[in-house]
Amino acid sequence: MPYEYLDHEADIGLEATGTRLEEALRDGVQGLLALLVDPETVEPREAVPVQASGDDPGALYVALLNAVLAAVDLHGMFFRDFELTRLERVDDHWVVEGTLYGEPIDLERHAVEIEVKAATYGGLLAEQTDTGWRLRCVLDL
Amino acid sequence: MSTALNLRKIHDYLFEIPPHGKMRVPARLYLDERSLRELLENQSSEEWNAIRQLENVACLPGIVKAAMAMADVHPGYGFPIGGVAAFDPKAGGVISVAGVGFDINCGVRCLRTHLTRSDLAGKEEKLADTMYEVIPAGLGSTGELKLSPKEIDRVLREGARYAVRLGYGREEDLEYIEEHGQLSDADPSVVSHTAKQRQMAQVGTLGSGNHYVEVQVVDQIYNARAAEAFGLELGQIVIMLHTGSRALGHQIGTDYLPFLEKATRKYGIEVPDRELVCAPIESPEGQQYFRAVMAGANCAFANRQVLTHLVRQAFWKALRVPETAIETLYEVAHNTVKWEVHEVDGERRRLLVHRKGSTRAFGPGRPELPERYRAVGQPVLVGGTMGTASYILVGTEQGMRETFGTALHGAGRAKSRRQAKRQYPAERIVEQLRKQGIIVRAHGKASISEEAPGAYKDVEHVVDVMCNAGIVARVARLRPIICLKG
Repeated sequence: MPYEYLDHEADIGLEATGTRLEEALRDGVQGLLALLVDPETVEPREAVPVQASGDDPGALYVALLNAVLAAVDLHGMFFRDFELTRLERVDDHWVVEGTLYGEPIDLERHAVEIEVKAATYGGLLAEQTDTGWRLRCVLDL
Repeated sequence: MSTALNLRKIHDYLFEIPPHGKMRVPARLYLDERSLRELLENQSSEEWNAIRQLENVACLPGIVKAAMAMADVHPGYGFPIGGVAAFDPKAGGVISVAGVGFDINCGVRCLRTHLTRSDLAGKEEKLADTMYEVIPAGLGSTGELKLSPKEIDRVLREGARYAVRLGYGREEDLEYIEEHGQLSDADPSVVSHTAKQRQMAQVGTLGSGNHYVEVQVVDQIYNARAAEAFGLELGQIVIMLHTGSRALGHQIGTDYLPFLEKATRKYGIEVPDRELVCAPIESPEGQQYFRAVMAGANCAFANRQVLTHLVRQAFWKALRVPETAIETLYEVAHNTVKWEVHEVDGERRRLLVHRKGSTRAFGPGRPELPERYRAVGQPVLVGGTMGTASYILVGTEQGMRETFGTALHGAGRAKSRRQAKRQYPAERIVEQLRKQGIIVRAHGKASISEEAPGAYKDVEHVVDVMCNAGIVARVARLRPIICLKG
């Protein structure tokens, strides 16, 4: 599994793995999107750019997930897919950019699951393993 | 921190972990043997363990007396849910994002009505449908109130008062809201444009997860004097609503997490968990975050005020109940940080009290309480689950001495959301509740499974522990009739 949900009494853990950091970040976003709404019910008709920065890969992961949550409210859209277009270390911090694909919210058609309030530094982990990268944090539900 | 538990039993309802490692004060848990055992058994992961989280809080600079957890304690992020910690600015005390949470000033309002159970007989389905139609709930829902950027700033500055000015609810409601629904230190200029933009369409929405509007009936009175002061009678219909500051609060938390992390480094504060990033209260960073949180809190006050209006609309539409027949009994928040004066070791001290998933529960005589309740103490609203009772309790003198006037906020979760989802299919829960005479309306299936009564601790027991410990006292028990979820 590129992403995995972890048991937490009140909230939920979201862990993403990938051979490269880009993949782990992308899959973390996919895991977040699938938590909000059944992606199968969302058409990827419109593209919305998203960007985030952080002092280290862990902070970057949390910032990216939070940027995606903000995009849902700011654009009034649900998203199905995320494409990561840039990951770069600039001076002392990391920058990530990508594109979310989705459509305006239609509560008649979209199978809504649950609202995620925010990605937190709780249980935060960003480590390089033998097989690549592992990212993890607790999402506040 | 060490995970080996060194729990000392103080009395039947209180355990203490003496300071060890980098703990500056003890960690105290209001639990009995049974609830302690259950807390340990239910632990879903060593990574987020409520007791360890409480020990971590006890390591923060300037913490006073103890890091405490109420009987509904369960793991959160950084702080445990059900936790309270007070910090002294004169002792280097800090302000922390995790001590407030992302749902800033999330809380519960109780409305008492002039209706009795028999007034609703046969009309429950109609009322439930109308509530479902009138009250925006669930992910993706939007409120009827669309605000301009200027108006959002007024919400952030004036809170519930501004909602009343716009015609949502009545002036009398404000008397019975903590801080009268408006925190004066709020500063909209330290809240990001993104936070305000996200909120434009979300004022007057319920949200999802554990947020709800419930119609309940008073089925037990334990304390006649306090019940009379609170205007409660057997058989009376009351309404509870539980929600917070919506996307605006979430974004403030999001924006200030990296901001306070930089401050943590700048001031050389050592934190045992990255989520516990914080800044000295008196530092420019701490002050700025505080002013932002106050703005977020005002947004939650306004949100509950608009929802109160919508509840009144639903009762009018479905049953022709006039809005004057629905009064605010009290509103209390459980994700807050506030300046309060408390007596510690015989000395009155001005402390910054963080309550994360715990309720202010002031005893009799406090000037913060509305005059009507001052002689008996503050109403403490404890939300149960869709299928179990909720409680109205009252704060005590002992609570003032022991817990900075703080008590539990709900039943407290026992099972993880994923476990609940596997174990409690939504259709089965709705049917079971229907057999118990409880009507559920929900926008998302997940809200029902994940919030199933079985996913929570036994509210009766949790309330028992806090009452037996003397921190609060029972006033009334409320049984659910209709539950609206996100």
